[in-house]
Amino acid sequence: MDRKWELDEASTVTLRIGAFGKKVIAVNGKEVYSSRKMTRKNELDLALPDGRAATFSFTPQFIGRPTVHLRVAGNLIVETPKKPITCASCGAVAKPYDRFCAKCGKPMPTAEDYELRGNVTAATSAIKALAVLFVLGGLLMFAVTKSQNDAALVKLSAMQDEATYPRPIEGRTYTVGELRKQIEWEPWGVLIVNLILAAIMVALALWARRAPLPAVLIATATYLVLIVGAAIGDPRTLAQGWIIKLIVIAFLVKGIKAALALRTARA
Amino acid sequence: MPEAGQECPACHRRVRAGTRFCPGCGHNLVEPALAVAGAPLPAQAAELTAGKRFVQLWDELQRLAWLFGLLLATSFVFGIFWRGIRSPWLDVMQTVVMAAIILVALAQRFRRLEFIFRIHSSSAGEAAILVGIAVVFVALAGGYFALLRHLGVPIASATGIFDRAGWPLWSVLLLVSVAPAVFEELAFRGVIQSSLERMLNARDAWLIQAALFSVLHLSPLMFPSHFLMGLCFGYMRRRSRSIYPGMLLHGCWNALVVVGEL
Repeated sequence: MDRKWELDEASTVTLRIGAFGKKVIAVNGKEVYSSRKMTRKNELDLALPDGRAATFSFTPQFIGRPTVHLRVAGNLIVETPKKPITCASCGAVAKPYDRFCAKCGKPMPTAEDYELRGNVTAATSAIKALAVLFVLGGLLMFAVTKSQNDAALVKLSAMQDEATYPRPIEGRTYTVGELRKQIEWEPWGVLIVNLILAAIMVALALWARRAPLPAVLIATATYLVLIVGAAIGDPRTLAQGWIIKLIVIAFLVKGIKAALALRTARA
Repeated sequence: MPEAGQECPACHRRVRAGTRFCPGCGHNLVEPALAVAGAPLPAQAAELTAGKRFVQLWDELQRLAWLFGLLLATSFVFGIFWRGIRSPWLDVMQTVVMAAIILVALAQRFRRLEFIFRIHSSSAGEAAILVGIAVVFVALAGGYFALLRHLGVPIASATGIFDRAGWPLWSVLLLVSVAPAVFEELAFRGVIQSSLERMLNARDAWLIQAALFSVLHLSPLMFPSHFLMGLCFGYMRRRSRSIYPGMLLHGCWNALVVVGEL
């Protein structure tokens, strides 16, 4: 898929990255570069038809396609998005290279701002993904726990509620009635806890639209605490799904950094 | 309105038809008297200041993350021990380790946080508001726990382990009521809330510390009640600019829990 950078009214740069890393760069539709070669810093230098120096830099990502930056005469250029850019103050459609809104005169975000917003959006998406995982995980764990506990309840059905269960569980002695109540409650407890967590994540994802820094901070802390809480119950869970955990944490930490940078830039 | 192909008189950039402001420099093309040309020039200086501030805030945020991480790691290590050893001494050791971490974090920022240890004079109205918050908090938190009991949710006992080991009531009150009230208030309403207030704004700092306080109790069913506690104690800290009202309410609530379990 082509990626596009509009430098001004007269110049547009497009980039296509092939399946095997081949990069095809065109300026105003005319191909100016087509190769896999790059400098050691993963950069590509080229001269624009008007003589300005342009540099593409490619930063490999932990997951997904590499981040591509285009700098012209040292300035980072805003990549043309799929949806038209609009002014946050008046809603007028603007060009990516506009520094001010043509309708209301308010400053438009810089390329750095767009990149930071992208990181915040990625962190918000990670929060939404966590919400979905909690719902699905909760339903799955509910089904598994319920079937196991139903089997345990069948075994208890022959005993009276007031009778003492013959074996202590985790050092505590229970009556059959108490044990039955706990067994009946357990799958619902698992489901409710997961739904509460999903609701918290949905609330945080919605809040992240208005206040990204506190929302992403709280989501990160909650997620870390859940990992640690599960590991206290069973330390083996630390190793389970560690790649996904690392990816989610990486997105969230990147989001915190980006939200803090946006906040300081606005202050 | 400028016509197609017209140039901006300030930066000589060609502007699109119908634009009121030059998209390159922000010059007012319709009413040149109100022009704001040249506005982007100080941006470089502002960018430098923002960059410096970002580094400061990021460093402080990392220090707070260390505090939170160490408290979480302590809970993890003692939680693992707790699986094999069921002794009240483990609880004592956990309290001592957490207190040491919190006191070190506090000592690093003591000059900036000195104000929370002062008793600020307040009007009768202010005092009435604080008492009102305390009453609302006890009613809501009590209602939440009553609801959990009504639904048959098993709630872990805070005092059972001391009771079984035959520890006297004063030691239970000290470990379950006083120590958490003092050290949790110092950590969350003292170090975290006050540091975040300097970095962000009072409302965000208030919400974040309440959320961190609730999640660090490691029980998702307690998240709502402890979030409410964090909000109440944090609001009291904001309102009174002192840590003591929240500490007092926190200690009283914990003591109520102890008495309720007797």
